[in-house]
Amino acid sequence: MNDRTENLLLAVPGILLLALAFFLPIAQMLALSVAGPDGPTLAQFERFLSDPYYLGVLWRTVRLSLLITLICAAIGFPLAYIMTKVGPRLRLWLVVMVILPLMTSVVVRTFGWMVLLSRSGLIPELLRDMGLVGRSFALMQTEAAIVIGMVQVLLPFMTLSVLGVLTRIDTRLEEAARTMGCSFLQTIRTVVLPLALPGIVAGSLLCFTLSASSFVTPNLLGGARIQVLAASIYRSVTATPDWPFAAAQAVILFAGILLVLIPYIRLTGTRHG
Amino acid sequence: MVRSVPTWLRLAAIVFVVLTALILLAPLIVVVGVSISESQFIAFPPNGLSLRWYQAVLSSDAYLGAGWISLQIAAVVTILATLVGGAAAIAIHRRQLPFSELLATAFLSPLVLPTIIYAIGMLMFWSAAFGPVTPVVLALSHTVIALPYVVRTTLAVLAESDPFLEEAARTMGANRLQRLWFVVVPQCLPGLAAGAFFAFNISFDEAVLSLFLRGPTLTTLPVQIYGQLEFSPDPSVAAVSTIMIGLTIALIAIIERMLGLNRFASA
Repeated sequence: MNDRTENLLLAVPGILLLALAFFLPIAQMLALSVAGPDGPTLAQFERFLSDPYYLGVLWRTVRLSLLITLICAAIGFPLAYIMTKVGPRLRLWLVVMVILPLMTSVVVRTFGWMVLLSRSGLIPELLRDMGLVGRSFALMQTEAAIVIGMVQVLLPFMTLSVLGVLTRIDTRLEEAARTMGCSFLQTIRTVVLPLALPGIVAGSLLCFTLSASSFVTPNLLGGARIQVLAASIYRSVTATPDWPFAAAQAVILFAGILLVLIPYIRLTGTRHG
Repeated sequence: MVRSVPTWLRLAAIVFVVLTALILLAPLIVVVGVSISESQFIAFPPNGLSLRWYQAVLSSDAYLGAGWISLQIAAVVTILATLVGGAAAIAIHRRQLPFSELLATAFLSPLVLPTIIYAIGMLMFWSAAFGPVTPVVLALSHTVIALPYVVRTTLAVLAESDPFLEEAARTMGANRLQRLWFVVVPQCLPGLAAGAFFAFNISFDEAVLSLFLRGPTLTTLPVQIYGQLEFSPDPSVAAVSTIMIGLTIALIAIIERMLGLNRFASA
């Protein structure tokens, strides 16, 4: 036995598993999305793209995902920056604060938001008491509820990707900027932010992808009336079993995500190579 | 440092961190609060204190059954993902295979592909080829999405290891199996352990694959909770959820004690 055989033997179980239980099923799904009674057809895609209802679902998915990503970046960057500046003990607690929700089941976290946002829940009650909203104000079954819930679900991903990049930045760069007369905010804007950009971009892509493809939180917080693409896919699979249509919607979701991902991979690929 | 950060900014930072902590932890705190409530209905802040909902969970066949299935599947996934992922990581790390770059990408790809797309593919493929979904299929699919975590943590540990140790073992006459078992695997151990904990956590908490690949006799704990939330949530859902949060806290504590969280948090 030589080195190559040994390594091949080590990798083979994984390769087999991925081939049979990952790549093959995805290929099958792609094939089913164009399957028709008589040969390949694009009928399912036509059905989706010509129906104003589904176009509305698609637009809502893109709009909400962008908003969620933006909010995550706006909170995640400062949070990660603060995490690099505090002492090791406090930093550990902040890491726990970020990781604990991340490792808790999405179902459990969404349940928490259902309680907080419900008609008699803490947040609408508080807003009513402060006189900011009217008596009939409700948060559940609105897009706002989806955004609030999803930001909490995805913020850890953004924070950790930015943190990964920030910890590798040479702190002397910041000190140099300060000695040369930059104010604190100028240093952030001209030194830290540009250097952290790869982390922010990677985190944003992750957030966008995950929020465009999640349905548990949107289903439970937004209800049946406010559908997003992933929820519509789930319904096509379970409620009205229509697998070819579900497959076509999944392909549309996949294509949309690739559309966002590929320019980024190209960009980072050329930078490294 | 030169001039320090202005005071108002420090204060703003403190307020910001407290608010963010509130957003991140509020849902968890609320769930725990609801679970110890006396009231029939879900209410926060809780009315009265009682453990009756925990009693309700522990005497409910639906929750216990789902919990047992989740545990079994998570155990299988942990073992499978750690063995398969660890072996693959060792092979990838050595870079002797002609396509090791491609292999590394392939092993990390379940991380990039949205789970819902994979879940549909898995459901359609297995039902078309082999009929109804079985626990084995669910366990395999969980293993696939847990694999990248094991590969990543093991590769991270191997990257810091000393390549000459294996060389030394070879010159001293150790054969392939001995080198692998006594030199390489012990070096991987922290990565394998972290990967195993992540794999368990992913499988135990996973909802998307479990929802698509569920069956009348195949309901995991997250699916059971999801079903309750869609129809008639009572505080017993909060009690189960609190137990799951407790398990997560225990896992995080173990990872921190054994290996240090920081090491894997920003990797």
